[in-house]
Amino acid sequence: MPDIRLQNVSKAFGGATVLDNIDIDVGDKEFVTLLGPSGCGKTTTLMAIAGFQHPDSGRIICGDRTFFDGGGRRTLPAEQRNLGIVFQSYAIWPHMTVAANIGFPLKLRRTKKPDVDRRVGEMLDLVELADLGAHYPHQLSGGQQQRVALARALVGSPSVLLLDEPFSNLDAKLRERSRKWLRALQQEIGMTTIFVTHDQDEALGMSDRVMVMNRGAIEQSGTPEDIYRRPANRAVAEFVGRCNVLDGRIVGPARCGSVLVEISETSLVVRAQCPPETADAGDVVIALRPELIQLSLGEASHANQCLADLRSSAFLGDHYEYELSLGGVLAQVQHSLPIPGETALVTVPDLAAIIVKP
Amino acid sequence: MVTLSATVPSAVRRRALLPTSVTQGVVWALTVVLVLGPLVPLVYTSFRSQAFYLPGGTWSLQPYRSLFDDPAFWQAVENTLIFAAITTVLAVGLGALFAILINRTNMPGGSWLRWLLIAPIVIPPLGLIVGWTSIYGTAGYLTQFVHRNLGLPAWNLSSLLGMAVLGCVVTIPITFLTCQVALQGSDSALENAALSSGASPATVLRRITAPLLRPAILNSSILVFALALETLGIPLFIGTPANINLYASYLYNGWSNSATPDPPFVSAGAILLLVVVTILLIVRTKLLGSEDRFIVTSSRGSSEAAPLNIGRWRYFWSAVTAGFVLLGSIIPLFGLSIMSSVKELTILVAPWHLWTSSNWHDILNNPSFRNAIVNSLIIATIGSVLTVTFVAFATLVAHRSRFGLRRTLPALLVYPRAIPGIILGVGFFWSYLLVNVPGAFLRNSIWGELLALSIRNITIAYVVLYPALAKVSTEFDQAAMASGAGWWTIGRRITLPIVRPALLTAVALMFITLLSDYDPLVFLQKPGTEVMGVTMLQAWEKGEPGQVAAMAVLQLVIVGLVIVGATRLIRRARRA
Repeated sequence: MPDIRLQNVSKAFGGATVLDNIDIDVGDKEFVTLLGPSGCGKTTTLMAIAGFQHPDSGRIICGDRTFFDGGGRRTLPAEQRNLGIVFQSYAIWPHMTVAANIGFPLKLRRTKKPDVDRRVGEMLDLVELADLGAHYPHQLSGGQQQRVALARALVGSPSVLLLDEPFSNLDAKLRERSRKWLRALQQEIGMTTIFVTHDQDEALGMSDRVMVMNRGAIEQSGTPEDIYRRPANRAVAEFVGRCNVLDGRIVGPARCGSVLVEISETSLVVRAQCPPETADAGDVVIALRPELIQLSLGEASHANQCLADLRSSAFLGDHYEYELSLGGVLAQVQHSLPIPGETALVTVPDLAAIIVKP
Repeated sequence: MVTLSATVPSAVRRRALLPTSVTQGVVWALTVVLVLGPLVPLVYTSFRSQAFYLPGGTWSLQPYRSLFDDPAFWQAVENTLIFAAITTVLAVGLGALFAILINRTNMPGGSWLRWLLIAPIVIPPLGLIVGWTSIYGTAGYLTQFVHRNLGLPAWNLSSLLGMAVLGCVVTIPITFLTCQVALQGSDSALENAALSSGASPATVLRRITAPLLRPAILNSSILVFALALETLGIPLFIGTPANINLYASYLYNGWSNSATPDPPFVSAGAILLLVVVTILLIVRTKLLGSEDRFIVTSSRGSSEAAPLNIGRWRYFWSAVTAGFVLLGSIIPLFGLSIMSSVKELTILVAPWHLWTSSNWHDILNNPSFRNAIVNSLIIATIGSVLTVTFVAFATLVAHRSRFGLRRTLPALLVYPRAIPGIILGVGFFWSYLLVNVPGAFLRNSIWGELLALSIRNITIAYVVLYPALAKVSTEFDQAAMASGAGWWTIGRRITLPIVRPALLTAVALMFITLLSDYDPLVFLQKPGTEVMGVTMLQAWEKGEPGQVAAMAVLQLVIVGLVIVGATRLIRRARRA
């Protein structure tokens, strides 16, 4: 299965720039997720790959085939790109049975009827809907419809699978199950996949690589762990998961990829991870995940501890969410036990915080 | 490891017979030629001193001059304006009132009245007109009853006011439907907000609901006014005996009753009316913004509102609405059916003493009537299927393609209904004369009539198909495209099958319309190519109202059967 590359792709609607010179490189068999808030350009990117949107400039190449070349003004029509797409609405044709839906791409390729039947049977087995071939779409549940859409996308042996928020119409439980199932299937058949979502749990839980998009640009590309643990900038830190983004000042020299940072308007001095290109001194911005901050009772005895006032708390089942005031700034903290009283001792473990670009 | 079998189907695509853009271009060009083509000879002739088939014609404004010099022309213009104004005021006022009562209040019987009010859409227009004369005409049953038996002053149907009342009954479905769509589309939270701030239901209706209808009222006013300007049947059947001409009947008489028909003269008159109607429709489009705004109806789930309680008044208004339907449609159709089976419908003798089957005998045995029935059925059957097929693909080009000139298509598809039928008929007649191949064939067979009638009514197919198509998510197309299907395949295999119920509705409506429409054919019909509408007109002029009534009843029966059959088919299509 080929890789897919987008080079300098730009697109504007009216005066508004939707895609701003983006570069994307998806390797063979890789599962890449485009993650971002609505309006960030992720769906436009997917539709440009699919051929339903035409970029203003740039190139889109899949293996040795050029899908789009802004310089040469060449566009391969969508119907010749041989991609598999699962739409947000699934777009299962309501007037055809499940089997007819899945078999349609094959019929277009003039496959002989026995071959179509056999292959549709295989696909139905693959998506665990073997008994439902003769059903009509409206007789299926949301999860089943989604799998029909997937089977239809895969039946023609596409070079790349494109998924446009395929879980957004499912309820929470089903969504989780479908997610695991789809990821397992993708790994089994080794299909190059591009997945679009605004749901970070989906993005982090399924992908080989996540690309965070914002305002038509790619903010960061990396493994789910990279994205979560080492966000490149404030936008990524704030969009992926919950995060305290705080101002600070470097107060000691870098050592082993970390540096001492004093958090502004508090007495806290924490050892924060620092990316290689960080300067040796001056003001910085740090990101600190709420679940990495420890709460306890007692007195501050280290520089990375301070007493904090409890401002609000919310019980969310497996944990509490607290808002604490650390001197002049507010911080979100996640803790699994209730805190008695009005104050708590905050401890920021070494390397819990990371310096990000503002 | 799941095996995605080794026998992966080769990615050989079906080769399209023609490139997509060529197919789309052909559909577009056909639409342009068929819609605008017939107008060319009309415009040309109106600026010539002689009919083009006579030698020695020159460019001239003489046709317009002689038109303006004719006092009868100005009389017709004045009559038409008065008729159109009264019709519009009545139809819009009552249509909006009924729409509000039925859709927003707890008036009893609303669900029945809703259908009865729009029934005139499918009632053959001549049937309704003949029914009205049989009941309300000078010698009509109720007129005589009131005048002779009760000794009260009776109304005069053969007056501008009388004709306008009938015009209102015929056009009220348009205003009612337009207002109903607007009401269903508007958020009832607006009304609920007024209720909870202390307004009485009557105040809400007056201060909130009615003002919200303003765009719909403006829209349907212009539409009804334009339709009233070109009304032909009402003045021909009802106005002529009292010597009242409207514009269309003036043109018709100028052609068919004068010893030497003067084509340039009639063309000039036709062009003038066409210009006025076109300007009206352009104004309407400008006022309303894009056509889409009112064609597409989105039903919002949350707008299901509790009806406003209008108290005891609800019985009064229910009676008013029912009375309108009863007097406007039901009693005249009842009169029509009696008239088809009696020697004469009169107050002096009970109908059962005058019972006769001779009208039915006549229309079923007289060869020209029989011809008319058979021809009309052929035209309606073949024409409806062909037209809907053609319009379906034109609509796909207009709204589901990247074809360069697609944006011109919606206007082209809506325009023919705006062209007065009689004018379009003249245009087709001369086009067939000018372009001898295939004009000569078309001129001398029912196929020419089929073409003219179908083009005149493509608008009906379009306004049914477009909203249905607009509701079909484009993701269905994209999914097919990603599967490797081209435009033509997507249309044939995906989009059109999904809107199958709308296609069936369009075919049924087209069939009904083609069966009873006749305006464009009054100049096209020849011996051998008779159709029902024109034959009825001629029988009326000969003074055979019984035969006309029998034909009209036959039309009604066929229409009824088609509606029953179509409803079943559509229901089955929906279930599938």
